[in-house]
Amino acid sequence: MTNDAKIRVEHLNFYYGDKIALSDISMVIPDRQITALIGPSGCGKSTFLRCLNRMNDTIPHTRVEGRVLLDGVDIYAPGTDVVDLRRRVGMVFQRPNPFPQSVFDNVAFGPRVLGLHRHHDLHEIVERSLRDVGLWDEVKDNLRQNALNLSLGQQQRLCLARVIAVQPEVILMDEPCSALDPIATLEIEELMRRLRENYCIVIVTHNMQQAARVSDWTGFFWLGELVEFGPTEVIFTRPARKLTEDYITGRAG
Amino acid sequence: MPRETFDRELQRLQDELLVLGSMVERAIAESVDALKRRDFEASRRIIAQDRDINARRFAIESDVLVLIATQQPMASDLRALAAILDLASELERMGDYAKGIARINLMIGDQPLMKPLIDIPRMAERACSMLRRALDAFARRDVALARAIPAEDDEVDALYNQVYRELVTYILADPKNIDQANYLLWAAHNLERAADRVTNICERVIFTVTGELGELNQEGNGIEDLPG
Repeated sequence: MTNDAKIRVEHLNFYYGDKIALSDISMVIPDRQITALIGPSGCGKSTFLRCLNRMNDTIPHTRVEGRVLLDGVDIYAPGTDVVDLRRRVGMVFQRPNPFPQSVFDNVAFGPRVLGLHRHHDLHEIVERSLRDVGLWDEVKDNLRQNALNLSLGQQQRLCLARVIAVQPEVILMDEPCSALDPIATLEIEELMRRLRENYCIVIVTHNMQQAARVSDWTGFFWLGELVEFGPTEVIFTRPARKLTEDYITGRAG
Repeated sequence: MPRETFDRELQRLQDELLVLGSMVERAIAESVDALKRRDFEASRRIIAQDRDINARRFAIESDVLVLIATQQPMASDLRALAAILDLASELERMGDYAKGIARINLMIGDQPLMKPLIDIPRMAERACSMLRRALDAFARRDVALARAIPAEDDEVDALYNQVYRELVTYILADPKNIDQANYLLWAAHNLERAADRVTNICERVIFTVTGELGELNQEGNGIEDLPG
């Protein structure tokens, strides 16, 4: 695991009003690997994830201290183009959230926002993105159907295709399988392993077996702190910290 | 505690393993005792009882797999279960050594022993003592004890070398002794192997507690130290 750092987080603090939600987090997230963030509800892992593409900016009365370097450049530096940041660092959410439009328009949405309008180009991007998420064969005969007619697992893959369509570098996933059945979950996991070849992936999950199955690196959060971060195989077989051990063996949290 | 069911089942499996261990320990001690006393009845009983040892080992193995499949253990829980799997198979093999010694008694048949057995029972005593304490170390997760036991294997190896040299002098004195000397050497070899397996058990104890996998005893065993 010698991949370069894609994201470098340095002494990150995050506040909701006066309340500190993340305290002194430092972490190196490698490129073309899957990093899983685990921990009990309210431990700060989702807040942390949302710090990586400034999604928390939209929440009033929040404050960030410290640095988040994407390819060495601080995303919180003044003058950062947040729209471009969110193109480079895409996000998939807990519940699939396709727009109530056609499959085609969902995937073409991002490229259109970025100024691409020629149908031929759009079609090429839509096809490639849908192929990348393994959805093309299932929808190619009816790209005009409403995305909400797809199964939840297909909708979630569509949301991934929508992210991929704008050629991001990092994909953030916040509990991407929690609304899916076991088969759809495994499909997403297999997909993640494939996408890992080209993207830096960070996933928040409550499902420890999922973290163990898909990720290369695991970070364990507890009460707003990063307790332990290391190779997944080490975290799940011989963690260094007692608290990590207690959590992953189901005796704390 | 949110893991009561799992903890209870893990404890039960560990207890089962200790029962298996004491069966094996007794089989080793009794096999040598039967050989010493030329008690064929006892040897036949030990051979028959090996089936119980094997059955228990399979039961433990199957229960461990069920527990892994149904409870998804992690970290030290997973290591403990992996160790139980491994220890059960080590113990089963040690049981086979006892059965082998019982067979040797039957194979030697009616001919009297060419000498009273002294070092072979000592080897058995040492091996059993090592086994008992190694399993105790596992039950108590005692790393210091697990690290200390393998050094005693050298004593078993030394006894084995002694038995070998002594048996060679009997062969040289009268070639008619070859058959029985071979049988006795085989018995001693089984005990030497049994003690070696105790070292493996100690390695698993350390693995269970610390997660480190490694050899505890890099020294050669008896036979490798012998000339020729």
